[in-house]
Amino acid sequence: MTSDRVEAPVRTVGAVADELYLKCIRCGKCLSVCPVYRETRIETLSPRGKVALYRAVGEDDLEISEVYAGKFYTCLMCDACREACPSGVELDLILNKARTDLAYSGLMPESLRRLDETIIAAGNISGEDNEQRLGWTANLESMPIGLDHGGQAEAAYFVGCVSALFPASYSIPQSLVRVFERAGVNYALIGGDEHCCGYPLFLNGEGERALAMAHHNVEAVRDTGAARVVMSCPSCYHMWKHIYPELLDNGELDGLEIVHETEMLAELAKEGRLCFKPWPVTVTYHDSCDLGRKSGIFEAPRHVLRAIPELTLVEMADHHENSLCCGGGGNLETYDRELAQALPRRRLQQAQDAGAKYIVVSCQQCKRTLFGGARRERIRIRTMDLAEVVSEQLEGEADA
Amino acid sequence: MLDPQIIDELKSIVGERYVLTSPEDLVAYSYDATFTSARPNLIVLPDNTQEVSEILKVASRELIPVVPRGMGSGLAAGSIPFGGGMVLALTRMDRLLDVDLDNMMATAEAGIIASELADAVAREGYFYPPDTTSVHYSTLGGNVACNAGGARCLKYGITGHYVMALEVVLADGRIMRVGGKATKNVTGYDLVRLLVGSEGTLAIITEVTVRFIAAPEVERMAQAIFPKLTDAGKAINAVLASGANPSMVEIMDETAIKSVEEYLRIGLPLDVEAILLIQTDGDEADAVRGIEIAAEICRQNGAREVRVATTPEEGKEMWEARSAISGSLGRIRPNKLGEDITVPHSAVPEMIAKIKEISAKWDLPIVIFGHAGDGNLHPNILFDKRDPEESERVESAVGDLFRAAVEVGGSLSGEHGVGVLKRPYLEMAMGAVAVEMQRRIKQAWDPKNILNPGKILPTKGAK
Repeated sequence: MTSDRVEAPVRTVGAVADELYLKCIRCGKCLSVCPVYRETRIETLSPRGKVALYRAVGEDDLEISEVYAGKFYTCLMCDACREACPSGVELDLILNKARTDLAYSGLMPESLRRLDETIIAAGNISGEDNEQRLGWTANLESMPIGLDHGGQAEAAYFVGCVSALFPASYSIPQSLVRVFERAGVNYALIGGDEHCCGYPLFLNGEGERALAMAHHNVEAVRDTGAARVVMSCPSCYHMWKHIYPELLDNGELDGLEIVHETEMLAELAKEGRLCFKPWPVTVTYHDSCDLGRKSGIFEAPRHVLRAIPELTLVEMADHHENSLCCGGGGNLETYDRELAQALPRRRLQQAQDAGAKYIVVSCQQCKRTLFGGARRERIRIRTMDLAEVVSEQLEGEADA
Repeated sequence: MLDPQIIDELKSIVGERYVLTSPEDLVAYSYDATFTSARPNLIVLPDNTQEVSEILKVASRELIPVVPRGMGSGLAAGSIPFGGGMVLALTRMDRLLDVDLDNMMATAEAGIIASELADAVAREGYFYPPDTTSVHYSTLGGNVACNAGGARCLKYGITGHYVMALEVVLADGRIMRVGGKATKNVTGYDLVRLLVGSEGTLAIITEVTVRFIAAPEVERMAQAIFPKLTDAGKAINAVLASGANPSMVEIMDETAIKSVEEYLRIGLPLDVEAILLIQTDGDEADAVRGIEIAAEICRQNGAREVRVATTPEEGKEMWEARSAISGSLGRIRPNKLGEDITVPHSAVPEMIAKIKEISAKWDLPIVIFGHAGDGNLHPNILFDKRDPEESERVESAVGDLFRAAVEVGGSLSGEHGVGVLKRPYLEMAMGAVAVEMQRRIKQAWDPKNILNPGKILPTKGAK
């Protein structure tokens, strides 16, 4: 594999093992959990509909086209359908293979193609100078020790594009390093040496183009000498943890522990390195798709929240494996902004129905999406990342 | 392909984006939860009854077949457009219109998801009992049109027992309201009862009023494990004859158990022939006493083990195993033909034995599960549609199943409806006179035969 566009024959669905779609008995259960179907109520956009389209192409009953492509990009890749499927249809594979076929056939929508080109050219999703990745450190009271770790860091912090480059998300890395410093964690920042993890390319069906990024990022982290890499972005985490091993040669990740912010915070709380002041509020925790359903991390963030005195943790109607995507997944926001913006409403309603005043997330994208939704829909509920909650509730911090 | 002028006219009624004609859309609206499919010429998604009325006027004038569709979870091929034409998808009409606590009735548009109506009622502290396995992915209108059932029918009856009033659009576009909130009403023919279960062949259901009831205080669930299927059959009748008063008695056979276990991995035993799932409800004392009686009867009738759920979560998990069967069968063979025969409950053991014989005779795996307590069994024949020889054997086995059900005093369908799949057997089950009377009803309501044509009634001269 190379990082550039692979000169491979155009892959068509027919080449893919048909067991993928033959298992679908069309019961319709996936319709009840699909955020896109629940919003549109249009079968063609449902998981079952997409499997039927994929199958029709595989059986030469339908030709791929821009319209066909549009159906597959109108998807959050949230995996709720795969989780719900009683028949064991691997919808995550089908949806990804369909996008891969489309990318190879030149049918990726223009907006997404531009996103991929930006990532390849700039090393990040926004197209800014990649050296600006430390902009979030400018307002800190003191220079983060992570910039001067002296090769002794226990963990390298992989900040992720959104938190590093979008000012509205700066408070997530700011909070996390403050917590690390209060807890005495020696960490390393890699600044401009960090490149996009490549997950957006994978979602767009161009996972193979992420190879150079994977090599680069692993090397940049190795250079810090740290034995762990920690992420606050669940998508980076999922990419590193589950897709890098498929892309990279054997051994390249050996000895490197990949952890998510929530796991590290739970560990610090268990070790007694975080002492919280009371916070008498009702909060609910929103499982992001990449951290929850796709990575199986459900309890670590809840453990941290339960460690905060007087906090009441309630669950929404859909939680853990059945969590409802906020609407921020699958690059849908880039492809169909109007639809993506309609999706958070249902999730926010679930949080209100549960009686929560705060939705705690551990994902900068969920935070952006739910925050934006609450503002548009005028729903009075606050969204915070777990790192922000921990930072504000540490014993000795002034009340927010 | 339809005349572009007609498509434009339909677009002017519902809006450009709610008339779908792309090949992709035609594929997605070509199927339901059976193994059959056929593509329509177009799909129209109306927003309200007035739009449905305007659409029907056009269809009636132009003689376009109109096939109403909810969420396409039907199991009788009732919403598949075999003759082409228009799929009228009612999913956008999903508003909850009223929850009337004084009269204990709720009104909603036909496209509301059935569980959303049930949840709205439950939020007020009441209970809407119909609980099809597909309650989260079927519409209220579809439930009414197919007179859907579910596991609680044993004690609480089927969808039709709850329907009080309907708003429908007739074949020529006229809007008609029938029934009402008066609990007693014998004014004229009972058109509500006629429309319930009519599968879209007489009118398009656009709005439904259902009654609801006081919620039982508690539910109790037990799972009884039987090394022998025949013992489970005997236990069912003994439980029904006792004072246990169960709200459900469900059965799953060994293939069903294996299939579900592979999906959920919840530790179901793989060395037994049957599991019975029994639920009681009511006030605490009644429910507990009932489940204890049922558990004891199961033990006396050969159950190796009986587990009584101690928490609602445990009960829910037991039910999940049962509700997952149908969907999990795709793990065994690519296609399934899920039948819906219904027999007097005393005949359940005999019917199970006959199904086993039919399975052996045609060398086809047949999974048995279903609502054993009310005699409604779902023998599912597993096969591969791509094998024509096997598909022929499936046809023969189906005929044998229906004949066997009728022989023991039962019939073709308990809750899925006739659709297309059971149409050839209607006369065998009901007799020639009853079929002829239904033809006349169809003729009176839909003289141009545009409403879901070819469904329920066998083509004249066919087998």
